[in-house]
Amino acid sequence: MALTITCPICGKRNGYEFRYGGEEKGPRPDEAGLTPEAWCDYVHMNNCVAGVQEEWWFHKDGCGSWFKIHRDTTTNLEIEQTEATE
Amino acid sequence: MKEIQRVSPVVLKGTPVKTEKRDNWDVVLEYSGETEGPVIVDLSHKPRFDLQDGNVGEKKPFGFDLPQTPGQSVFEKGILANRMNGTQVSLYNLAGGEDTPDDPGITDVTEATLFIALIGKEVFSICEKLSALDFEDPNREVPFLFQGPFSHVPCQIVTLCKDGDNSGVVLTCSRGYGRDMIHSILDAGKEFGLAPAGENRFSDWIKSL
Repeated sequence: MALTITCPICGKRNGYEFRYGGEEKGPRPDEAGLTPEAWCDYVHMNNCVAGVQEEWWFHKDGCGSWFKIHRDTTTNLEIEQTEATE
Repeated sequence: MKEIQRVSPVVLKGTPVKTEKRDNWDVVLEYSGETEGPVIVDLSHKPRFDLQDGNVGEKKPFGFDLPQTPGQSVFEKGILANRMNGTQVSLYNLAGGEDTPDDPGITDVTEATLFIALIGKEVFSICEKLSALDFEDPNREVPFLFQGPFSHVPCQIVTLCKDGDNSGVVLTCSRGYGRDMIHSILDAGKEFGLAPAGENRFSDWIKSL
């Protein structure tokens, strides 16, 4: 088991039960005055952090929740700052 | 108009000796040569509902309070209510015979899922061959719900009793997994003598809880 993820509802589970949902990018940009380029950047451009990043996960084999965790991308380990523990 | 025929997704190898027709389901009440060992019981004919609501904790579809914490279950008036998350509760009518509650948040999922019970002393030994989840968790009081993979299939599993010979769980998953799920459970249970049993065995067990 390479990765465990802490679901706020089900607790710590095998990473294979989850689907990755992408980096946390903050709130959806306001549509007023939004240019196609800015929208494209929001949707497609990622920071690809080498280190701790906040990201979305979906508990597809469990409770069906979407939630955020912090994961160190260099070690592929969740760090203790999740929605479940905050 | 022709009568509909409801077909369980579960097929158990055994010779039924007592059957009955109930609400267009063929229900096996007893199999020939039922053993005292661990048994698997097909309950797919038991009504099951999914309740979704923003204030699901305040709903009382069967007249009793629903569990407030995800993972908690309540067994009352023959209904097993399992809190799945902030907005959802699954309801299994183990007693049977009651109409669908009149609530717009309720969906009847009886024919979308399979539903089985595993009863007997070795049930948790069989389960641990098929899932990494701890259905005997000493820190949780029965009944309690697990949502997770069982034989790699997303399931809801409720531990109703973890006391030796009387141990038992009920399990539900999408109906399409029926044949393979039963195959894998029976294969895992072979060394423990897992055998099919009819609904009467389940009814006796549930009364004893």
